[in-house]
Amino acid sequence: MEAVLWYVLTSTRGGANRIRILRALDNRPRNANKLAEELELDYKTVRHHLEVLEDNDILTDSGDDYGAVYLPTDRVRNYWDTVEQIMEAAE
Amino acid sequence: MVGWIDLARGAVTLNILLLGVLIYVWGRNYYTLRSKHTLGLLLFAGLLLGENAFALYFYSLDPLLTAWFSSSVPDPAWQAMIVLHGFETVALVVLAWITWD
Repeated sequence: MEAVLWYVLTSTRGGANRIRILRALDNRPRNANKLAEELELDYKTVRHHLEVLEDNDILTDSGDDYGAVYLPTDRVRNYWDTVEQIMEAAE
Repeated sequence: MVGWIDLARGAVTLNILLLGVLIYVWGRNYYTLRSKHTLGLLLFAGLLLGENAFALYFYSLDPLLTAWFSSSVPDPAWQAMIVLHGFETVALVVLAWITWD
């Protein structure tokens, strides 16, 4: 999981925005639309990042189609030290 | 006619381009995120870039080696070299694919 976090958040082209998304969702779970507004990102870009983060078991969603709310998984919570370390570096 | 040496040069050139993409993404991320992980990848890509730049230099520019490579290396030896370069190209395509995401 740690290696996945480092790769997906710091070593991919979309890494910086994924860190912003994870931070926003840690503060408060929200849906893709709200997230795009909040972070001033394109809706499709946000959806793509959410998909990648879900594929890597970093985020999960409430399953209500377009209104689905996203939040960090229990698994990523167990590695939150690593996430914080990455977030600090990104500041 | 395309000779074996041209295939080898093509694979090496492709490797250099792919490493350019990886160095661009990792370099930019390292600049903003300062992660040790990204720095390690950057060094890894830099060394592989060196390897491929030397290969291209030996195949195309070095006066002594170029003469030798373009006339005196038998086909089976080229085929073996191309297998090595080709595997590297495929590996770099996979890495670039997950990194560009």
